[in-house]
Amino acid sequence: MRSAVRIGSVLPWIVLVCLSRAAIAHHSTAEFDYTRQVTIKGTVKEVQWTNPHSYIQLIVNGESGEMIQWSVEIGSPTLNINMGWRKDSVKVGDVVTINLSPARSGRPYGTLRVLTFADGRTLEGVAARIGAGPGSPPSGDRP
Amino acid sequence: MRMPRMNHFRLLICVAALAACASADADDASPFTEGQQALLGIWVPDAAPRDLLTASGDAPPLTAEASRLYAERRQRLAGGDAAFDPTTWCAGPGMPRILTMQYPLEIRGDADRIVFIHAWYRWFRTVDMGPGTVDPPLPLAMGFPVGHWDQDTLVIRTVGLSDTTVMDASGLPHSEQLTLTERLHVLPDGRLEDRITIEDPENYTQPWETVLTFHRDTAARVADDVCPDRMAAGEPAEQLPGGRAGSSPAQLVATRAAAVATNPGAGTRRLAGIWEPKTFGIMVPEAPLSAAGQDIVTRNAAAMQAGRIMQTAWVSCRPGAVSTMTMPREKIVILESADEVTMLFEMPRMVRRIRMNASHPENLQPNYVGDSIGRWEGNTLVVDTLGFNGYAELDARGQPTSPQLHTVERFTPSADGSSIDIETTIEDPEYYTQPFTINRSWNKSEARHPFEFDCMENPREEDFENAYYVRERYQPICMRVAGEGMELSKMVCLRPE
Repeated sequence: MRSAVRIGSVLPWIVLVCLSRAAIAHHSTAEFDYTRQVTIKGTVKEVQWTNPHSYIQLIVNGESGEMIQWSVEIGSPTLNINMGWRKDSVKVGDVVTINLSPARSGRPYGTLRVLTFADGRTLEGVAARIGAGPGSPPSGDRP
Repeated sequence: MRMPRMNHFRLLICVAALAACASADADDASPFTEGQQALLGIWVPDAAPRDLLTASGDAPPLTAEASRLYAERRQRLAGGDAAFDPTTWCAGPGMPRILTMQYPLEIRGDADRIVFIHAWYRWFRTVDMGPGTVDPPLPLAMGFPVGHWDQDTLVIRTVGLSDTTVMDASGLPHSEQLTLTERLHVLPDGRLEDRITIEDPENYTQPWETVLTFHRDTAARVADDVCPDRMAAGEPAEQLPGGRAGSSPAQLVATRAAAVATNPGAGTRRLAGIWEPKTFGIMVPEAPLSAAGQDIVTRNAAAMQAGRIMQTAWVSCRPGAVSTMTMPREKIVILESADEVTMLFEMPRMVRRIRMNASHPENLQPNYVGDSIGRWEGNTLVVDTLGFNGYAELDARGQPTSPQLHTVERFTPSADGSSIDIETTIEDPEYYTQPFTINRSWNKSEARHPFEFDCMENPREEDFENAYYVRERYQPICMRVAGEGMELSKMVCLRPE
């Protein structure tokens, strides 16, 4: 429900309208800047398949050669199952490319839009559906 | 709107109990034999073993690898580090861990499902009594239990158990391959025995059996329990047997006044089943805010406009029952008996007990779920609730409630039984100028089990950056912080000084 309680501007309202009821979970929409996209590539260090949200901890090589740990919110277990994920869809050690909407805080933190495996397979995050327009799942009524 | 209160409370209890018994006696459609019926009701663990042993008292047959993991955990435990056990930060204990906790449990049920309601932080598990097996779509702490009766023995097979939990407080491991087969029956001495066969080839060289027993205690209650509040008060997340003083589980505030009568009646099963909210409302635009209410909402809005993250009762994992009225999510399991309609909510996770044909106690103990009494008006269940603690917000704007909150819900099932319309009247003179009504509806679910919403499982530090706490109580108790470098992230609990 954080998505619901952090509403303070127009954008989150758009987000709410665009997301299905399943997407409106516990979390903020104001926490991330959905107008921006960042793409990072790295190695999965940890997968937290948990409520209220799930996360991938990704180790990314920084520009100066340093290792940066990104936290990528990927949804929640029930939501991800409904979107076609399985618990073992992403494993520790996988090398993946992640397109995300970054946190407004500027920290290495974001919410997943699209995850691409080395072999080209992809998994979508909730954020990928934001702003998709009239074809997006409606809010309110259950599918 | 307030229901009249009776002066002769004890007399009322007797009348209510007699009415319940009379109703049960008049109904010969119980799905249970006398022996099966004996399993129902409240049970208290005989012991809360820190270490699960085999039925013969031996150590479980761990594989070499599991043995190494277990030894490491025991070493950590000896050093005071029990962070391998998610209950230490109020996350779900799972099975069979929850059966090893020193907390009462209540068994209720009907022909379609048996429900275990635990006195620890609103956890429950729903045993589907239908035929066949289930194919779990995702692992859950309580798994996907399917049961049947073998004469007077309840047999439950559970698969789909999440490996994020431990088997017992000592950290006995299990994998998602874990299968539990329980045989529950009442012993000749009146105790309940749960004989559990544990199969997990990843961690154990062979199946093994453990036995847990429970006894009756007329003083025991299965009341609302909010783990983060206990931790905030400096108490442990789990009361350990023989542990420090505090509010022992058996002394938890009893809000149930009527005698326990668990015999379901055929004529009362109008709402029983699993339901899903048809719509998901996150706003209550109808609410006629008073000046005091408007002040709070304006303050909340200003904080959000400033980009701060609003922490409400729901977000802080302490949702009140009014949230099940205004913002129900996911599945709802309903059981009906002569004395009680039991509503088990997946999200927010909550157990609501509606005492039928009863009155509110004279001395209400305010809590998050309130005291609910119900009556049938024709085909409509009318539920009157008082005794809220004022720690709940109605909606996404953080519209407040006070201890003066009074709700009346009218649940009307459709003629074909496929849906329920719910009209809720909310009255709270502290924050609203007049009573107002909201409407919600639920559809019948085809699901055999609800999923779980374990709000406390993974509180991330990012969630509390730039937070705005609507009430001071909503401060975090524990949070997961990112480890440095290649270290794994870890949970850190903030103990009061």
